[in-house]
Amino acid sequence: MLKKISINKISELAAALMDKGLLLAPVKEISGYNFVEIKDPKQVDLDFHNTIASPKAAFFPHKEDFIKYETGKPIDTASVVALNLPPAFLFGARPCDVKSFEIMDIHFNASGIVDPFWKQRRETAVIFGYAFDLEKPAQPEEFYQTLGIGAADPEGSDVFMVKKGGDLLLNSVTPKGEKILAELKVLNEGKAADKKYYEEYIKKGKEYKTRSMCLEPGAITKKLEDLFYNTDFWTRVSSACISCGVCTFVCPTCYCFDICDDTLFAQGIRRRVWDACMFTDFTLEASGHNPRTHVYQRLRQKINHKYSYHVRKYGVISCVGCGRCTKHCPVNIDIYSLIEDAMKA
Amino acid sequence: MINKNPYIPVPVEITKIIDEVDTHDIKTFRLVFLNKDDEANFKYLPGQFAELSIYGKGESPIGIASSPTEPGYVEFTVMRMGAVVPGTVTSALHDLDEGAKIGIRGPLGNSWPIEFLEKKNIVVVGGGFAFTTLRSLINYMLHKDNRKRFGDITVIYGARNPGLLLYKDELAAWEKRDDINSIITVDKGDEAWQGREGFVPAVCKEVAPSPKNSVALICGPPVMIKFTLPVFFELGFSKENILTSLEMRMKCGIGKCGRCNVGYKYVCSDGPVFSLGELDELPRDF
Amino acid sequence: MTDFRQIENNLKKEAKRLLEAGEVAVVLAYGRGYDEKHPMPFAAKAIAHVESLVFNEYCNFNMARYLMRYPWGTKIAIAAKAADSRAIIQLVQEEKVRREDLVIMGIPAYGMKNQKTNEVIDSKTTGGLYNPVIYDILLGEEIHGQKIISPYEVLAEYEAMDKEERWAFWKKEFDKCIRCYACRKACPMCYCDPCFIDQNKPRWADKAPQSPGNMMYHLTRFHHLAGRCIDCGECSRACPVDIPLYLFHKKVAKECEEMFGQAAGMKLEDKPALVDFRVEDSDKILE
Repeated sequence: MLKKISINKISELAAALMDKGLLLAPVKEISGYNFVEIKDPKQVDLDFHNTIASPKAAFFPHKEDFIKYETGKPIDTASVVALNLPPAFLFGARPCDVKSFEIMDIHFNASGIVDPFWKQRRETAVIFGYAFDLEKPAQPEEFYQTLGIGAADPEGSDVFMVKKGGDLLLNSVTPKGEKILAELKVLNEGKAADKKYYEEYIKKGKEYKTRSMCLEPGAITKKLEDLFYNTDFWTRVSSACISCGVCTFVCPTCYCFDICDDTLFAQGIRRRVWDACMFTDFTLEASGHNPRTHVYQRLRQKINHKYSYHVRKYGVISCVGCGRCTKHCPVNIDIYSLIEDAMKA
Repeated sequence: MINKNPYIPVPVEITKIIDEVDTHDIKTFRLVFLNKDDEANFKYLPGQFAELSIYGKGESPIGIASSPTEPGYVEFTVMRMGAVVPGTVTSALHDLDEGAKIGIRGPLGNSWPIEFLEKKNIVVVGGGFAFTTLRSLINYMLHKDNRKRFGDITVIYGARNPGLLLYKDELAAWEKRDDINSIITVDKGDEAWQGREGFVPAVCKEVAPSPKNSVALICGPPVMIKFTLPVFFELGFSKENILTSLEMRMKCGIGKCGRCNVGYKYVCSDGPVFSLGELDELPRDF
Repeated sequence: MTDFRQIENNLKKEAKRLLEAGEVAVVLAYGRGYDEKHPMPFAAKAIAHVESLVFNEYCNFNMARYLMRYPWGTKIAIAAKAADSRAIIQLVQEEKVRREDLVIMGIPAYGMKNQKTNEVIDSKTTGGLYNPVIYDILLGEEIHGQKIISPYEVLAEYEAMDKEERWAFWKKEFDKCIRCYACRKACPMCYCDPCFIDQNKPRWADKAPQSPGNMMYHLTRFHHLAGRCIDCGECSRACPVDIPLYLFHKKVAKECEEMFGQAAGMKLEDKPALVDFRVEDSDKILE
């Protein structure tokens, strides 16, 4: 089902979605665009390239409360935080970010014990993917082409959106998407010419140029396994790293978290909070032993996790080439160059 | 897993606390489930662990020290941490009295591979505090319903001094039994000590268990492991027949939080029990 | 405009000479990044590494941040712009590094730019200085005659706010914080191990990115840097959500300077203002 709406009227579409549930869409903030929960439909702004933070927080929020309790009170007075989620719409996620959900699904939803929070948030959400603007060049940090992701891949979205001049074309990809498109009265029917435009756009998206190298998951896994003990290599590539958490926090596929008890006076909450393997105390054991005291060990862990361990465990590289880690690194460490370096080393 | 939501603990009561050692920093806690359903759902095997949970303090992953053959309760032997990094949960646990209620989440992790161990001779080597899940296994194997499933059982357990030996009553009971060869050693005895003196690796060499149809399970401080392994290699044990239990910092215990990986394996969900053969495949990152 | 090319050439020449002569084990400077606009901090340890050294208007990193990775006694050559040189002085004062271990390669520079916004940031950082305060070798010509901008000039708008407005301002800014700790990690003066925020006994603040934990983290860090912040602006530059941390640091630095008559990291023989006690010290701090 193909529908369309004038981009000038995007706030009407936003309002219609807000009537049905929670709307997460790109909003222009001082430092750039971010996905935020929309309060005023006029906030929605599709004139962006990509957001600072990835939209993973829609399904894996920075903090997720598990249990509320009062310290000193009997344990059975603690209450589990109910997760009564309204339907949610993630509006305007770029194809590479949508791909990241699939990668995270393997970890949270399809392997071992299912993470109930991720699962529920995924199930209640409808994803409106949005193709990159093919007229504009990719940003220098991006390399999703390397990971086989096009600039207009509709896979993974429920509805996929493409810009056509002053119009926004919305095509349903899944039954969930079809249902919501049918319900949205603010949309107009797409014409045959629109359909053709949409299909050609998707095709053209495959050829959209970002940085690209030949990266076969098996080969990079093997290479990184061989490189593991090459301390010279890891020390060299990590010599600038300051061990902050920016790269992991903006990353769409980083999922490490901490479970902690946050208390204010007697009120306590047990929750999970994003954590980063780049932090010094990430693996610090109560005995005082820390297997990763050096910066190079932590960067090695991060790179290996994405390009080797994840491939061994789940069969896919845990990176979508969105380039956020590179773009926001305070010392300009570039994961793409690092992988290139590793392949040559 | 006891709960539908794997992050939510269920309540238990501490019914008994045993002060294990002279230094009073290791205690065994006996926990009884407040709800019968939770107890029925907590089906575990020796070698598994659970997250003990105190609201306001946090959670701590602790190996289960009791054996599933002892119904009605689970036991955990906990050391009060704090020499280097303050162990918030373990100290809070140590400050509790009998009758206190805490939370438990589990059972977690793989276990000692019971099926693999069946019909084999079992050599258990433990050092110091790292004897808890081995004790679980020994009691499991010694149970009258299970004893026949295993071959000879040899236990070599050592501590720095007699006061630091765990489970003293049980050790004494094992010595009296003839279906287990139990060798207890201390690095240095005191006036009252009449048993063996000597480091675990040296004792292993002396006892020289036969590698024939045998599996060795070795847990202890890194330095003990370092010197014990060569002894077993020399005796002819293969890497596949030497098992150990790893420790890493853990949080979720179910392979989600990304903290305890060694290479592509998570210690909490793929382990904590690994054979040396398996560990050889993984990078030395622990 | 600073002749960046000349400085880069001199940097390479001096690095090569020092490494060749064995005078230093490592040269802390800037290396090639994934493009021109994104150079990286780089530790050259061999003559072969020297070719990778660069210098341009985007080399904002405070290299003093990396000094403490090396044990005392390691001979280090360090590229130092004005801010870096002040950080070095401050670290020497605090006995974290030893002056005799260092060969300071001074870089006079103006026209340094923010890589994200392309805006010239001289006035926001470096405390209004263009020349390194201390150096052994100078890689360019000293800059004179440039307009001297007071480091506190950017505070005008902030100082016009009253107490409530400032509280509201910071509350709003700290709500953005994602607790990635890039600010403290980029800071050459944040070397505590462990940082108070990572301690778990006592736990000073929530781990979740929200007030009051965010407030606790930033306010404590601000005050921990009182009289020590050398105004390099690295915290603000590193921040992925653009919290103007420099405003608070500058404000505190200004008050310290007024009260104790000394700016951080300007003289080797000074003691950090809040460590040193003098009878004639201002009592204003107690008010």
